[in-house]
Order: sequence, then C-alpha cells, then structure tokens
Amino acid sequence: MGLTYMKEFRDPGLAEQLVTAIDQECTRPLRIMEVCGTHTMAIFRHGIRNVLPDAITLLSGPGCPVCVTAQTDIDAFVALSRQPGVIVTTFGDLMKVPGSGTTLARQKGAGADVRMVYSVFDAVTIARQHPQKQVVFCAVGFETTIPTIAAAVLMAKDQGVDNFCIYSANKLTPPALAALMSTDGISIDGFILPGHVSVITGVDAYRGVFDTHRVPSVITGFEPIDILHAILSLVRQNRSGVPALENAYPRAVRESGNPKARQVMHQVFDVCDAAWRGIGRIENSGMALKPEFSRFDAGLRFDLHLSDVDEPRGCACGEILMGLKTPKACPLYKKSCTPMTPVGPCMVSSEGACAAYYNYG
Amino acid sequence: MTPDDTVLLDHGAGGRASHAMFSKMILPLFHNDALARQDDGAVYPVPAGRMAFSTDSYVVDPIFFCGGNIGDLAVNGTVNDIAMCGADPLYISVGLIIEEGLPLKDLQTVLQTMADAAARAGVKIVTGDTKVVPRGKADKLFINTSGVGMLFEGVDVSGSRARPGDKIILSGTMADHGIAILTAREGLTFEGDLKTDSAPLNHMVKAVLSSGCEVHVLRDPTRGGVGTTLNEIAGQSGVGMTVFEKDLPVKKQVNGVCELLGFDPLYIANEGKLIAIVPEQHAVQVLDIIRADEFGRDAAIIGEVTDQSVGKVFLQTAIGGRRLVDMLTGEQLPRIC
Ligand code: SF4
Repeated sequence: MGLTYMKEFRDPGLAEQLVTAIDQECTRPLRIMEVCGTHTMAIFRHGIRNVLPDAITLLSGPGCPVCVTAQTDIDAFVALSRQPGVIVTTFGDLMKVPGSGTTLARQKGAGADVRMVYSVFDAVTIARQHPQKQVVFCAVGFETTIPTIAAAVLMAKDQGVDNFCIYSANKLTPPALAALMSTDGISIDGFILPGHVSVITGVDAYRGVFDTHRVPSVITGFEPIDILHAILSLVRQNRSGVPALENAYPRAVRESGNPKARQVMHQVFDVCDAAWRGIGRIENSGMALKPEFSRFDAGLRFDLHLSDVDEPRGCACGEILMGLKTPKACPLYKKSCTPMTPVGPCMVSSEGACAAYYNYG
Repeated sequence: MTPDDTVLLDHGAGGRASHAMFSKMILPLFHNDALARQDDGAVYPVPAGRMAFSTDSYVVDPIFFCGGNIGDLAVNGTVNDIAMCGADPLYISVGLIIEEGLPLKDLQTVLQTMADAAARAGVKIVTGDTKVVPRGKADKLFINTSGVGMLFEGVDVSGSRARPGDKIILSGTMADHGIAILTAREGLTFEGDLKTDSAPLNHMVKAVLSSGCEVHVLRDPTRGGVGTTLNEIAGQSGVGMTVFEKDLPVKKQVNGVCELLGFDPLYIANEGKLIAIVPEQHAVQVLDIIRADEFGRDAAIIGEVTDQSVGKVFLQTAIGGRRLVDMLTGEQLPRIC
C-alpha cells in the first residue's frame, strides 16, 4: 500500500491566506453543511471552526454511516449476535451504538461472538476458517464501501463460502441530499460534498439535486487546505449569486467517478428505499441484495422478528444530521449522553457530530 | 528440544518437567546469583534510601511483531515504570502464564529477548514463576513483570508537579508501538517498516536526573498515548496545557497509516518514549541530554503548561486553529501491551 503525507495541504501560510480571504469576502451569515463524517472529523481535528469568522456556521450532515443506521438495523445486528453458531463481524464504531435494548459490545461482553474487522474481506476469511459457523457481516456503508462489500459477496459466491452472509444497511448519498433539501425548514447556503464518496459516484451523481435546488456545492478532499478552499469557494458563490457544482478535488474525483466500482455494486445490489436514523424513510436511498444473491442475505437466512421501534426520547441526532440543530442544543448533550454513555449514534461514531463536539470541544 | 516441541501442562506442574525447563531454558539465560539459589523468593542487598516498586501485565496480541515481542515489552515496560518514578531500576520478577501448546522455540525466543532486554537495561531478573494453562484458557503467553529500583537522591517527580510556565518535552516520535501491533495483528502491509519503539528509558532518565536540572514530571505515554497522559497530568497538577501540532514528532509512515485508518497518533500507545515536564530555564538542557541518548534522538519540546483552562489540554493546530485534546474514551486498540 502506498502512502503519501501531503505537507503542502497543511501549509500554515497558505491556510492564513485562505482564512483572510474568507474573512474579507464573507459579507453575510452563511450556513454551510459538510455532508460527510470524515469532513466533520477533519474540521474538528484541524481546529478549522475557530479560524473561521463568526458569520460562518458549519453544520454536520447525514454523512456518517454509523450515525444514520436505523435503530431497527442495530436491533437486527444484536438479534443476529444472539443466534447460536453465529459470528457477527462489524466495523469498530458500530459496536457501541445502542439499539432499542443493548449494543453489540455488550452482547460480546455477555459471550456473543462479535468481532471487529477492518475490511469485509476479513469477514470472508473468518467464514472460511470457521466452516461450521455462520458468519454475518453488518454492512453499513456509503458508495465508498458498497463496491467492496459487493466484491466480497461475489468472492464468497465464486469460492463457495456459503456460511458467509451480510445484513445490508448500506446507503446512498445523493438521494439523502435530495430528501434533505426538500424538507421544510431547512436553510443551507452551501454544501461541502464528500471527497471519498465522489471518487465512486463522480460529479455527475449530484447534478440532479443541484439542478433542482441550486445550492452552491463544492466537492473537496480532507486536508485543511482542501476544506478552507471549499469554504472560500462557497463564500464566493454566495456573494456572486451564481451557484455552481464545483469539483475542487480533481486529484481524486472524475466527472464520471469510477464506473467499474459502480458496476460491481449494481451487479450485486438493487436500489431500494431505506430508513435513516432520525430522518426516516428515504426513497431509493438504500441497497438490497439482488434476488440472485439472496442466499447471502442474513435477513432471509435467519428468522429475526424485528419491529419498528421508537428512537430514544430527547436525542436530537435526526435534527443534527439535517442541520437543524447543533449538538449543544440537545438537552442530553454532555449530561446523560457522553462517549462513555452514548444515547444516540452521533455520540458513538468517531465521525459523529456529537462525539466531535465532545472530544474536540 | 526438537523444533516441533511445545509447552505441555507438565511444564507447569512443578515436577520434573518444570524443573528441567527452569534449569535448561530459564536459568542459563537470566543467570544471576539471586536466581541461581532457586529459593522461593529472591534475596538481594539494597543501598539506603527510598525505593520505587511497580508491576505490569502483558497480554499483547500477537506476541511477535515488528521490532520486538512480548518479552522485551514486558521487561522494558516495568523498567520504564520504575524509571518514571525517578528511580534506578535494579531487580525484576517475571511471571509467565503459558497456554498449553505454545511452541518451545517461541518460548525460547521470548526468554532470550527478555534476557537481552534486562542486560541492556542493566537490571537483574531475580525471581519468577511459570504456570501452564490448558489450551484456550489463555492466549499463547501472558507475562507479568514487577520490579524495584532505588530513587535518585533529592529527586521528586510526580504527575502532580507540573507548574504554569513549564515546558513539555517528548523524547521521540509518537504512536510507533500501537501502529506496529495493529499492522502485525491485522496483517496489513505498508511500505517501510513500522517497528515498535519498545526500549528501556532508565539510562536516559538517569542522565537527566543526575544533570542537576530540575524535573517536575516524568511519565511514559503508553496506553492512551500522549493525549491521554497529558490529560492525566493536567488533572493531577491542576494546570492547563497547550501542545503545538507543528512540533509533535510523528514518523511519516506512522502518520500515513493513522490517516488511512482514521486514528489520531496522539492517542496511540508508545513503549519507549517519555514525557518530561521541566521548568523553562532547564528545558533546552534537558532536551539536549535526552537527544544524546540512543532512544531520544527525535526528542522535541512539544508544548507548555499554562494556568488557563485547568485540567484541559489544547492543541494549536498546524494551520493555527485550536482544539481540545480530550482523554481517550474506551479502548481504541485492545491488547496493545
Ligand atoms: S448528544 Fe446524544 S442524545 Fe443528543 S443528539 Fe447527540 S447523540 Fe443524540
């Protein structure tokens, strides 16, 4: 694996120039939403909020996969971990998200076989190593991870790893943006669009939402200079009154994205409706296994008996994800809800807005 | 011993097999008078003064990783804990809990590494214990080490002694150990070598404390990393701290892996680094002494102690922003040491 550490994208001199320009050119209060959880984290880690003028409010959008996973889906993961002979595999952050009753982490403490993996392929490997067990992967991802999950399903099919299956709670970004913009009471002056997701979707995927709502939008990367650049661009678009859909991350994102990855994704999954935590059902925003892959569907393989459940009272995750509130406006924030005792998923995921506010102050 | 021999329950039963293992494998490696007496405990002379006493258990998974194994980790860990009290470590005990079936050659390698680590630190392994548990009741090998050392005269270091105006020195790059374990465990392969930094720091500490420079705090930022350790000190001392991102030493490779996996190097474990908090007027001299040590070449002054925001640590980011560095909550990487 190759690694490059890009010093020029953290250059203090360049950062200062950008901040000065933002300061001078921002002439009215602006509400800017970073859609992606990785951006939220980068903004906090680099202390970007407090170098910006007060007129700019940064809001965290529905782009942290763990945060938008519906409580019913978490309950399904927990129910799977209770099945005899089942190994549940998951990304780390998901372990501590409370469902309506308990968490995967607590299930693990109580003896369930729940394992943290870094890649879905690790789950396939575990399945191969334990042929007498059923290995379920909790698939919680956006366009960035879905192609890999699809590839793992194809691999399991080709190699006859029949004891592997997934529970798909995967989600698509552009439909969520469209749903967000159509919600009453939403006021957003600009979007910082996700870098990684756009590598797959390309710029084209946002064209529909942009044409309908005409909100200034910039796709950008995750380094501080990338983010400051995007903010300056959004300030300028607002000032000129000419909104644009801009790709400020051309070093990674192409107009048409990565068609090959999308092809793998659509080979295995069909688009379906999906429930987003705190937001509700959004049309065509999910990914379900196609009928020819249904034998890899954990929801069909096991009898789960799940019912729709109410979300925790007082948790404002939904409003936060839609940019209606900031974590500090949630009555539970830092009181009954902390990273040690999370009430909602936004306090669990390292990319969640509440956790970022809490950890990086 | 043939290459395929493994540890059996018999080896921990106290009978002939235990005896043979001790006299053939352990004694020759750790050889010293106190151990050779084979009594129930070690008897050794001590000079007059104050002693420091520390213990730690090692359950790292995997037991072998790039740049070391559980053996040197266990010796260096206790050596460093004693050194951080402002003491000169002298004697160490070793408790081995072995899972039945561990290849004898693996055990041999670990023991050899422990002997080498003890020699390098200049401490003696004077007493120990071996237990073997049935397969599945432990994971390969767990090690407990305890140790004692004599305090340097007139030295008073404590996590509660940081004072506003003090400088914070870190003895080298952050996060090397945690990332080495993670990559070994997950079978991740990256360019360049990601080695543990496990090392004895007692010689460095001795050089600093015998220089006449005043030192308020010494701590090794192991689990929880530099971020958590600084928070602990800020809380204990009732002070605030500011750390400068541009001055934080991190290896390029380690930083790359952290970026890729979404980890913050401030919270990743180190096993061969110390934090020294010293009055401003002694900071440069202490830094020079640390840099002269073979394990302190990348040392840097990373921040300062303030009287603002008591109990909190802030980071001045490279681009001029400011953010909180909170305590790590929960386990970022389990079984790292
Ligand atoms: S602070 Fe906790 S309860 Fe409030 S919105 Fe965030 S996660 Fe939900």
